[in-house]
Amino acid sequence: MALQNEPHYDVVWPRSSLAVHKQAAAPRLDTLSGKRIGFLWDYLFRGDELFPVIMDELRSRFVGVEFVGFEAFGNTHGGDETVVMAALPQRLREHRIDAVISGNGC
Amino acid sequence: MRASAAAEAAGVPSVSLVCSGFVRQGVATGQGVGYDSLALGVLHGHVDTQSLDEMISHLRDATIDQIVAGLTIAPTLDSASAQEPTALETTARGSISEINAHFLANGWSDGLPIIPPTREQVVAFLGPLADDHGRVLGSARPSGREITLWSIAVNAVMTGCDPRHRPLLIAMAEIIADPAYGVEHSGNTTGADALVIVNGRSSADLGFNAGPGALREGAHANTSVGRWLRLYLRNVCGFTAEEHDKATFGNSTRVVLAEDEQALNEIGWDPVSAEFGFARGDNVVSLARMNSGLIIGGAFGATAEALVPYLADGLVRVSGWDLAHIYGLGQGHYRPLLILSPLLARTIAGSGWSKDDLKQALFDQARLPALKFEQLIGDWTNINAGRRSLFELAAAGLVPPVFGESDDPNRLVPIVTAASKFVVAVAGDPNRNSAYVMSNDGPHGDWTAKSFDR
Repeated sequence: MALQNEPHYDVVWPRSSLAVHKQAAAPRLDTLSGKRIGFLWDYLFRGDELFPVIMDELRSRFVGVEFVGFEAFGNTHGGDETVVMAALPQRLREHRIDAVISGNGC
Repeated sequence: MRASAAAEAAGVPSVSLVCSGFVRQGVATGQGVGYDSLALGVLHGHVDTQSLDEMISHLRDATIDQIVAGLTIAPTLDSASAQEPTALETTARGSISEINAHFLANGWSDGLPIIPPTREQVVAFLGPLADDHGRVLGSARPSGREITLWSIAVNAVMTGCDPRHRPLLIAMAEIIADPAYGVEHSGNTTGADALVIVNGRSSADLGFNAGPGALREGAHANTSVGRWLRLYLRNVCGFTAEEHDKATFGNSTRVVLAEDEQALNEIGWDPVSAEFGFARGDNVVSLARMNSGLIIGGAFGATAEALVPYLADGLVRVSGWDLAHIYGLGQGHYRPLLILSPLLARTIAGSGWSKDDLKQALFDQARLPALKFEQLIGDWTNINAGRRSLFELAAAGLVPPVFGESDDPNRLVPIVTAASKFVVAVAGDPNRNSAYVMSNDGPHGDWTAKSFDR
């Protein structure tokens, strides 16, 4: 509560402008049938146990879906994260990846 | 989310798997790299506390449909974006109590009273740099906001920093902007908070306390500069509970640790800044995120040989989850800090030991059974994917050979990958015989140093 004759202050904002430009997400696929899906993993939170189950579920729903394991891309949260991230676009092209499933944030 | 953003930028649709408690941070992280609606597959609860059957059941019940939808249905974009103030714009007007209440309500305060950041105060803090107030030093991750001289100064005014500390704060902001530091991890699980270490000939002149009460509030320079970092991480990098902070537990803001330059000069040891390539006397600020701290109280011994076992024991006791930065989360990134009181440092140096001699002795004696190490990074925490033993990791060349000299689970292994990995500082009451150790968070706030000679 302001007291009588108490000084008033015009203050500025302590945050700063966003430096990033909004980007559109990549076009989605019409179906997963016949597509190659890559798994990206941070080597945490049981991705190695979940990914095989996801593969089984998707195979049961989509004919010809293929998978490339997380080993092909490196640890996305390890000590060399920046190197792995920088190399990712090239790795995705090399493996002809149509979509990725990336985990796990917990 | 950063991996998914990289895939999307490459034209590859993605879906990110996150536990249900991580959804808000996942969305915020996507926004920080320019994506408003990265697709999520939400894992019910937290997978680490579920049986395999429970985890799979939850996945089949809901997550798998979200994965399919995320890869095949275009996200709905919200074209509306909130208008934010510009740097020089007045964002509020009021008494000191009203301004404090306004900043608290908007999440712009650390909970302590702030000095109202008026434009005049900010300009005065910038001094000769005022005309260059819009200069951008880099991008603040994960928020994606600009690191500007203006924002450095606004938060410095709020925390009551002295304009003499302007070059130091700018150097700290440069560390935040440096990808090698990894500021984007500052809201991770363990809540490590950064420790600021100040070295150099100007340290005492700038008012930093390196003596009694080190690491405690009380000295204005140590307290206000430490507080500035916490506030900058909140306001510019976005580490609030509503955005990017997912620490299970945090630490109180760490006040700055200034090394006792006089004691270092007397015993001929290099300062911490020398670990990062700087010369003795250079004005340097170093940052690293620290998980745990532990006191080594009342060390008894007249020689280095007598003191090292207790110091080594403290380093082992402070190192737990953090060993995942030997292998797992990091690889050879674990660099714990030992802070010696000047008396202990003098006693060790009096035995004719250099700092490197001390580090080698710590490497030889700060050891724990291999089985315990493997439990900490693999069995109890699930961080060592595949749960390979240290013996297997050494055979594969993933950790140094010293970790795999036999497959005896009771053999003793070191807590760092090389003696040089220990960081040794000298500070605190010059006449007391205690030390303090801290475990660092590896690459997630890695030791990074910058000069503030400018």
